[in-house]
Amino acid sequence: MKERLFLKGKSRNLGISIVVASLTMSLATVMQIGPSSGAPVTTIKVLSWEPGNAKFWKNTVAAFEKANPTIKVKMQNVPNNQYMQVQGPYITSKSGPDIMANNAGLEIADRKSAYLPLPASMLAIAKKNLVSYSGACLGFNPKNPCYGIPFSYQGNVMYYNKALLTKAGLDPENPPKTMAEFGVACKAIKASGNTCLALGLQGQFPSYWDFPEIARNYLTEADMRSVLAGKMPWTNPKMVKVLQGLATVTSSGWTNTDAPSIAMLPDAANLFSSGKAAFAGTIISDAVNWQAFGTALGDENVGAMLWPTLVSNAPLANSFSGIEGSVYGVTAWSKNRAASFKFLEWLAGPVHASLWVKDVGGISLYRNVDKKALPSSPALAQILKIIAKPTLHVGVLLSSQETDALSRGWQQVALGEITVAEWTASMQAALEASPSKQ
Amino acid sequence: MRLVSALRHFSSSKDRILRDRSSAQKLFINWGITFLLVLIAVVSLYPLIFTLLNSLKTNTEFAQHPLSLPERLNFSNYSETFTRMNVPKLFLNSIIVTFGGILLTTISSLFLAFAVTKLKFRGSQFIFLFVISMLVIPSQAIIYPLYQSILDLGFGGTYQGLILALAAFGLPLGTYQLAAYFKTIPVELIEAARVDGAGHLRVLFSVLVPVSIPAIAALSILNFVWMWNDLLLPLVIMGGSDKGTLMVGVALLSGQYDISIPLISAGLLVALLPVFLVYMVFQRKILAGAMAGSIR
Amino acid sequence: MKTRGATWRNSSSETDKSFFWILRKRIMTFPYAGYLLTAPGLILVIQFKLIPLINGFLLSMQNTRGFEDPKFIGLENYHRMWNDPVVQKTFLHALILIATLPIWILLPLILALLIFQESPGWRFFRATYFLPYIIAPIVVGIMFRQMLAPEGPLNSFLRAIGLSRFALAWLQGPTSALLSIAAVALWSFFGLGVLTYLSGLSSIPLDIIEASKLDGAGFWRMLFSVVLPSIKPMLGYWTVLCSSGVLIWMFPLVYALSQGGPGISTMLPEYLVFLTTFQFLDRGYGSAIGIVLFLFVALITSFSVRYMFQAGTRETKS
Repeated sequence: MKERLFLKGKSRNLGISIVVASLTMSLATVMQIGPSSGAPVTTIKVLSWEPGNAKFWKNTVAAFEKANPTIKVKMQNVPNNQYMQVQGPYITSKSGPDIMANNAGLEIADRKSAYLPLPASMLAIAKKNLVSYSGACLGFNPKNPCYGIPFSYQGNVMYYNKALLTKAGLDPENPPKTMAEFGVACKAIKASGNTCLALGLQGQFPSYWDFPEIARNYLTEADMRSVLAGKMPWTNPKMVKVLQGLATVTSSGWTNTDAPSIAMLPDAANLFSSGKAAFAGTIISDAVNWQAFGTALGDENVGAMLWPTLVSNAPLANSFSGIEGSVYGVTAWSKNRAASFKFLEWLAGPVHASLWVKDVGGISLYRNVDKKALPSSPALAQILKIIAKPTLHVGVLLSSQETDALSRGWQQVALGEITVAEWTASMQAALEASPSKQ
Repeated sequence: MRLVSALRHFSSSKDRILRDRSSAQKLFINWGITFLLVLIAVVSLYPLIFTLLNSLKTNTEFAQHPLSLPERLNFSNYSETFTRMNVPKLFLNSIIVTFGGILLTTISSLFLAFAVTKLKFRGSQFIFLFVISMLVIPSQAIIYPLYQSILDLGFGGTYQGLILALAAFGLPLGTYQLAAYFKTIPVELIEAARVDGAGHLRVLFSVLVPVSIPAIAALSILNFVWMWNDLLLPLVIMGGSDKGTLMVGVALLSGQYDISIPLISAGLLVALLPVFLVYMVFQRKILAGAMAGSIR
Repeated sequence: MKTRGATWRNSSSETDKSFFWILRKRIMTFPYAGYLLTAPGLILVIQFKLIPLINGFLLSMQNTRGFEDPKFIGLENYHRMWNDPVVQKTFLHALILIATLPIWILLPLILALLIFQESPGWRFFRATYFLPYIIAPIVVGIMFRQMLAPEGPLNSFLRAIGLSRFALAWLQGPTSALLSIAAVALWSFFGLGVLTYLSGLSSIPLDIIEASKLDGAGFWRMLFSVVLPSIKPMLGYWTVLCSSGVLIWMFPLVYALSQGGPGISTMLPEYLVFLTTFQFLDRGYGSAIGIVLFLFVALITSFSVRYMFQAGTRETKS
């Protein structure tokens, strides 16, 4: 056994030279890793879930580094559905990345202790470049501290499949505008053998994508601010009407039967993409939007509209629930503040915005997006008209407890397991258990 | 040898029962057993085949025809997987942490099992019970404190941190399995080595380990599977750095709003492939080894 | 010079029994090797499992509002848990799962016995049954999400063979959802059980089988009085593994398949911990639920562990 450990003669020399060679090579490689000679380079770490797509981020980081040779950006991308589990420990240990992302609204407000409020210079840039950034500020008020820079615009629309409307004998250029018309249309669509509304009740999508569209019929912006402050109890008749409106959607036979056990994304969206459902309430930006559906169904077949109204003369009935998308802010523990703020400045700039539109097909918050660079999709044209009348997005004003209770309650109501009254009670309990609303 | 004759004896008594019945009944029972086994084999294999078929469709095709065979063999999902993730780097990371974890946990388990079963000292039973009871701690409940511990040790975002955590999580079960195996090794083997003047480590590595190769091999492949597939620990400890494992990279294929089942299926199969290959290559050895019988 | 029989006990000299001799004896017979060998393993589990557990317990006694500084509140979180209907329902579901344990223990045993007959293709079956285990749990979840869809492969198959009565919305019914997820978990892990039992079956010593044959034992007699008792250690090991693991194995599946819904019909303790800790940002309460889950699982497995431990020690003595 022992003799084999030490080679003899030629093999021994060969062995030694191989070892020496590999050690030298490794040493050389190790020494190469590190800043090349010249100006000192700051590396900033950005924690993100890669909204949009990977190509977009590669391009924007490359462009940023070209414009700022002394700063290197290391993107730390984490799957979106695991983001909280990675970000949480960083926040409690007050260490980790220089820049982090969170969704606008209560999500970032809940984590304000982890972010640096934007300095006045950054606020000036945001005001100059961006159409809106209040979702990144406390209480949605730009006069309060703001914690990051958003660059994408997000919000709810309902897409419809023109071919299916035609097949059901309806006018594809005149989709239903009220819920009553919607009901009539659904009857015709079901008679022609398709599902009317593709819907999924799992996860956070009901709160973000569906709840605001029904709520706009009964709430004013002042009411929504009460919701944010936790001063609007769910037992208030207006809120009960909203819940009843949601329940009507699932109790009228308009949706796919498995809605309570699937999610809008990907299941219900796939249902719409497959051309088996005529309507789907999704979003304008990132994905499952006009671009994705256009690829699946053909641009000429996809239309976009606001959700049908329940109260057509309500003040917000024809407004668009708009909210900033992901917000990027500098962490409170970052040691590279100047470089990090430079990156935030980039996010609010024109190059980043045009890449967002080009590579992702998203809607940008940048004021002067080159209209000629936008693709020519009829649905996109409709969307651009719709987003001209924005209002508060009440979905992001719900606490995480309320968001969770809304989905679960709606699932049970749709299955006939509980009544709307019981749903209201559970929503109220969730509100009372929300520390952020006390 | 022993295995074959044991089986023959066991089967022949069954045959004797069957001989007493009509040949039709015997045929029926044999075919019944085979049918049941085949059914379960199909159930075992089908989901994997289904995922494979899905990975060869485009997202649109999947949305429109979820159940049918793919129209064409579309490898775009695989090429996108390789574009989006740095597969070689992630693969290397997975190899480093998995093998590091297996090595560390196996050696620690060997030491523990040996000390607890062969060196009867005061408190050895308590230590054994203590280590095994650590098996039942749910990871979600301790993830914040665990990360803090790793940070305090300065191992945040390092290979060592993840290797240590993986080894710690695999220790209780490994210790139990090896201890159970060691208990079946007769004391005479050890006595013989000691008479030759062997110290503890010599006894462990020259006598016990060679004899326990089947158990160690079986334990190693179990550890390999779960360490390779684990998502939570690498995610939290590596947190998006470029030292993440293959599984973490695959999970990244589904963005916030962009969930394409065919793409995820392709990524999952890419991450599964190494484990699958290891299994196919070593399964006969491992399974035969695990079944090789005790030493009597 | 010391002879074999001389110890300090039977030494007649007064000096031998003095303090220093006792101390020297203690130092010389101190089980250095024992403690040294157990040290690496102990350090690992203490640092990465016990200390986080203790810290988790300390965390559970604090009131955490998001990421603000926590306040100490003693056992109030546990009191809140006691009265929380969601927590009660969740642990009820956990009990239902524990009640399905007999299937987890017996099904692989039956399959192992069948494979052990070495009917044609037994090697193929042995290899195939282990395959589900090597697939990562999150992958299993995503796969079965598609499989159990109302228009998915399973229901299509059932309709094709005329059993459309059974083509339910598996993940939608109040009881069928939980049991479906349990079935998926069983699919994942049964192969491991089959392998465990097979390794136990093949280590049955030849002489015992010979002896029972000489006694004229038939198939069933041999099964119950020879085979089953011999694989008791394997049975015990697999039982402990299942009882401690079943609740923990379910988490990725609940996450991928149902997220605890519809409503809370598939809510399980570990998923509730995840929800509370990472979505509701109530780390203290989440930690408390986790500690109770740990105690719950420890209790369930303590019976099996004690049995296993005793069986193990008894073996060496015989």
